[in-house]
Amino acid sequence: MRAKLAMLIAGAGLLVPATPLFAHHSFAAEYDADKPVELKGVITKWEWINPHSRVYLDVKDANGKVTNWNVELLSPNTLTRAGWTRHTLKEGDVITVKGSRAKDGSNIANAKTVILADGKEVFDRSGAGADADSDRRR
Amino acid sequence: MKTLKKCSIFALLIAASGAAQQQSERSSSPAASANSLPGVRRPDPPRPTGPTPHLADGTLDLSGVWYGGGPTGNIAQGLPKGEKLPLLPSAEKILKSRQSKDDPETNCLPAGVPRMAPYPWRIVQTPTHVFFLYEGNIHSYRQIFMDGRKHPDDPDPTWYGHSIGHYEGDTLVVDTVGFNDKFWFDFAGNPHTEQLHTIERFTRKDLGTLIVQIQIIDPGAYSKPFTVTFTASLRPKEELMEYMCQEGQQDASHLVGFVGIESVIP
Repeated sequence: MRAKLAMLIAGAGLLVPATPLFAHHSFAAEYDADKPVELKGVITKWEWINPHSRVYLDVKDANGKVTNWNVELLSPNTLTRAGWTRHTLKEGDVITVKGSRAKDGSNIANAKTVILADGKEVFDRSGAGADADSDRRR
Repeated sequence: MKTLKKCSIFALLIAASGAAQQQSERSSSPAASANSLPGVRRPDPPRPTGPTPHLADGTLDLSGVWYGGGPTGNIAQGLPKGEKLPLLPSAEKILKSRQSKDDPETNCLPAGVPRMAPYPWRIVQTPTHVFFLYEGNIHSYRQIFMDGRKHPDDPDPTWYGHSIGHYEGDTLVVDTVGFNDKFWFDFAGNPHTEQLHTIERFTRKDLGTLIVQIQIIDPGAYSKPFTVTFTASLRPKEELMEYMCQEGQQDASHLVGFVGIESVIP
């Protein structure tokens, strides 16, 4: 069931529409495309609210130190239109997020890719390829 | 110069990412093509085709859910190719001083006119009013009086101003005054003053296409009136959803610097 759901979501992930990206703030003013992060951790909180849904992750580093990260995704409205529901993620799930870190150095990131523990990709804004990243740099 | 060029490319990218509805003929930069945008895995759905619909009495029918139709990244995107915003020095100074963290729209305040957020909006028509219901940002509405009244002599300055409208064939013409000077025209921060007067012409070219031509008259910020054009697309399968921006807004305090100052389409 879970696998089926994940597959459905993975398929739906392809339907992220072209227009609604950063609804109310600019990407480059908050995040640095030159500071990629890959965060694997346990979901401690999942906020399905506007203007951006957020997933909070406990991430353990090589020394065993745990840091809680705040990861921004698109709005629930945009994600819903792309096939997500509020149940797509839940507390306790282990996920991997690839994205960009906040320019101000805080433990905040913007997700480009979200991968579930079973390897299913449920969110992907990286389809734009390297061009988009380089264009985003200032 | 290099920085300016980068800014302009960036402005294009942001504008295109938030508003694929903007005229494709202006999207000449590779950065603005739909396939190069972050997050894009497929193009927007095609615009529905068919003749322009009319109400039983022959009045233009604008009802439906629309997408786009105004500036997002930079209002200069809507200028004819090669034209530049006629910013007065005082307005240029304001533009250059603006920081993204202070953008009212980022802080969950209204986008104002003619700025559009990348969310659907619905037109509702009655014999006396036309309403624009916005999903975001913010979850609000514009009301346009269609009963023939005039503007008040001394309107209170507001985010959406005082709008009166009439039909000219398949075009809804909306005249608005009484704006406050708080909203920005775009992410770039192009400014205006309380002297702003807009004349918007919403022309339903066919079933799925709404051409929005906006004349901006603001002698407080621009040396002459200018006209920008954007295109909205009908989204017949969409319904508006709730969007309470204030609930989770936490970006503004993490925004660094400005978005861009370039106002010329390269």
